[in-house]
Amino acid sequence: MTTRTYYTRDRNLLVVIYFLFYYAVLLGFFLDDRLLSQYHPIFFNFNRDLTELALIATGIPRYMIAHPAWFTIADILAFLLPLPLIFREARQTGHPETRPANFSPWPGLLFVCYLAFYLLLADIFWQVHHEPFILLLVLALVWTTGRPDRFYLILKGCRYYFLYIFVSAAIWKLARGAVFNSEEMSRILLLHHTDLLTGDCTSLACRFCSWLIAHSTIAQSLYLAAFVLEAIFVMGFFTRRRDRLLIALTILFVLADLLVMRIPYWTILLGTIPLWMRDRAGDHGDDPLRLPNRPHPQPRKKKIALYETTHHENLPALLDLSQAHFGQVTVFLKELSYLNLTGDGSPEQRWPRIEFYIQPTGSPNRRFIRQLFRHIRRHGYTHLHLCTLDNNLLFFALRLAFIGPVHVSLTIHEVNEFLSGNFGSLRSWTETFSKPILRRLIRHFHFFLPAMAREFSRRQPGATTVFIPSRFYSGHHPAPPAQPFRIVIPGSLDPNRRNYADVTKTVALLRASPSLPPIELVLLGDSGTDAAIGIITTFESITSNRLAIRSFKGYVPERTYEQELAGAHLIWSPLNIHKKSSRNSTETYGLTTASGLTSDLLLYNTPALVPADLIIPELFQPATYPYRSPEEACAIIRRLVEDPIAYTALRGTIHHAFSFFTKENFSPAFAELTRP
Amino acid sequence: MNSRLIAALATAVFFLIQISIDLAHSVTAFPFVHYGMFSASLPAADSLLSYEVTVNGKRLEPADFRIYRWDMIQQPLAAFDRQITTHDFIPDKQKFQSELPRTYHYVYANLNNQATGQFPSWYRDYISRLTGQPIHSLQVTKVWYGQNNGKLMQLRKASWIDLE
Repeated sequence: MTTRTYYTRDRNLLVVIYFLFYYAVLLGFFLDDRLLSQYHPIFFNFNRDLTELALIATGIPRYMIAHPAWFTIADILAFLLPLPLIFREARQTGHPETRPANFSPWPGLLFVCYLAFYLLLADIFWQVHHEPFILLLVLALVWTTGRPDRFYLILKGCRYYFLYIFVSAAIWKLARGAVFNSEEMSRILLLHHTDLLTGDCTSLACRFCSWLIAHSTIAQSLYLAAFVLEAIFVMGFFTRRRDRLLIALTILFVLADLLVMRIPYWTILLGTIPLWMRDRAGDHGDDPLRLPNRPHPQPRKKKIALYETTHHENLPALLDLSQAHFGQVTVFLKELSYLNLTGDGSPEQRWPRIEFYIQPTGSPNRRFIRQLFRHIRRHGYTHLHLCTLDNNLLFFALRLAFIGPVHVSLTIHEVNEFLSGNFGSLRSWTETFSKPILRRLIRHFHFFLPAMAREFSRRQPGATTVFIPSRFYSGHHPAPPAQPFRIVIPGSLDPNRRNYADVTKTVALLRASPSLPPIELVLLGDSGTDAAIGIITTFESITSNRLAIRSFKGYVPERTYEQELAGAHLIWSPLNIHKKSSRNSTETYGLTTASGLTSDLLLYNTPALVPADLIIPELFQPATYPYRSPEEACAIIRRLVEDPIAYTALRGTIHHAFSFFTKENFSPAFAELTRP
Repeated sequence: MNSRLIAALATAVFFLIQISIDLAHSVTAFPFVHYGMFSASLPAADSLLSYEVTVNGKRLEPADFRIYRWDMIQQPLAAFDRQITTHDFIPDKQKFQSELPRTYHYVYANLNNQATGQFPSWYRDYISRLTGQPIHSLQVTKVWYGQNNGKLMQLRKASWIDLE
């Protein structure tokens, strides 16, 4: 199962990268008038290649020159032949189990043969030089198989071939004595850049080349550096641990080749794919030459890293479950989040087996994300759960594309936002570009409401979606002293998210009831913002000796937050059901986005007042009182205030209902989320 | 297990052929090619040949073209030059004939290029497409350079193609 999912991901990724390379090559041919139909040759060459000689002997090149329409046909076929492969792979995305049964190797074989044929023709007619394209051909063999073991076997073969390219170049330089020739590089430059050097030589490339020729020691040093670089690839035959170094060296080689030799050897970068794509089931770490009949090493210890820098209140349940399911857990979070992760005690006391990796205040997020991925790579983590993408979607998409054998899952906070595109700004462009990549790379999603999970699943068939609440129920909590009756409105004072007009109308109605005991309204969020000042002023205008208002300025520490909720008789969540996300997507509370209400409810067995349109999960319904108008809200509050016996019974009912929210009951969902 | 062994054997055979081809060196058999990457120890060259292309009275400079586009300006000239000087690759054909005489006899007709007298006009049309301009005059001059302290010194030149 594990192998299958990694295989699907690897294969899908390879489809994208390989065919991007393929069509980039053809586009390059087109732009430089090198397509056969553009070149329209009138003679063929003998390039001392036996396969080419065999092709010439068949008479095909001669026939094509006599019938030039075949050049056009050859080009069209080169463009069209991959399409059946691409469509087949796209159709099977997300349904890997259908691949082996329906798989036919013929489209792949046809493509490989035709690619070889086209490259031979290109060399016969305009001397394409095959070297940069052999990997394109060899790697295409993966399209001839639908079996994971063969897929990875071909990749492994390509990896060895790629290593061989560099190592053989190093060996030849040594064997033929080029590295001992102190004038070697100067002479290569003279020979290779004769055209460039014989002109007026005003270009930067020409002046640089002339300078190198004049300073033969420096030129030769470059040559020796290239030799060393090529020789380093020999280590790949003995270990895979340095494959990332080899990828970096390949990029360096391509850049140097372009700058010094003016050879755009970029197609060889395709060979870096087998360096980071490997068979997780048959992963033999240090010993890539391990024979198949040797025993497999022990399975890796399960390790998970969690990244959360925005809403620490959503972490407790994931931490509880991670600690229970994984041998090692590391959480990457902000300093402020760490300090407010628990109301009582320290995070280390509550989760003794979890390691906390803290982002210091003021430290940039991207640096922290880089540290996250470095940590995952260095310490061999098997799982990564992203609780947020932190407004760095493109950065995450790029890092995840190269993350290797790590199972990735993601918490979705706003379904519409994640599934929509927006082109209003440069950031929106990058995010819109990144989202399909992320949806392709990540197939396991976590939601705070079951309705969100269902909605996402409906719109993204094939994705694994699970509902896990922010926290688990902490147990029965006795009702606070009867007076004053305390109503707590948690969350920031944001008129976009909450309807405070309904609250003020309700409070005004309550004030008009002289028989009611004293009531205290607690606005449990930052009231120091510009938007909050107007709201506070309105509330203060309706206070009386029997109706008090209390509010907070600045960030409310978790300890205070939990204490205030512990002292609440009623939680009020006056949500605007429809809201705009930060990127202007329309979200619906309860369906496509979640408020912090469920998290607050699960702290204690306190009832809550909610708008009637809010979709409430069945499990939370015993604790919620929906209202349609301020009058209804007022009537509910009056009932709760005036009947203490019923209120006490209600808290017992809520306690009984919330007892479902335990770690054990959500373990299967978590297992599904983290199962590759 | 069998399929893995077969695959391992196939890989081994591939590399065996690759290494053999590498050792043969003067000849390749696609997809088994050499990756020497400038590995020949170069002596100081007696002369270096360059093709100077002048279009509508202006010499084409490599710095004015993308790398591959410049290749496509030079490559046909080098190829055509080689075809002319080898009399349509006679040495290769002779080698073929001596090694596989019966096969050579059977495919002989396919190995010969048609007369390539139209190359200059073909080249003019192709250069016109590459440079994106109509060509009224085209001159190609073969120029041989010698080296002197890392500098190129012109030794001689010969007009090769001249289309007005």
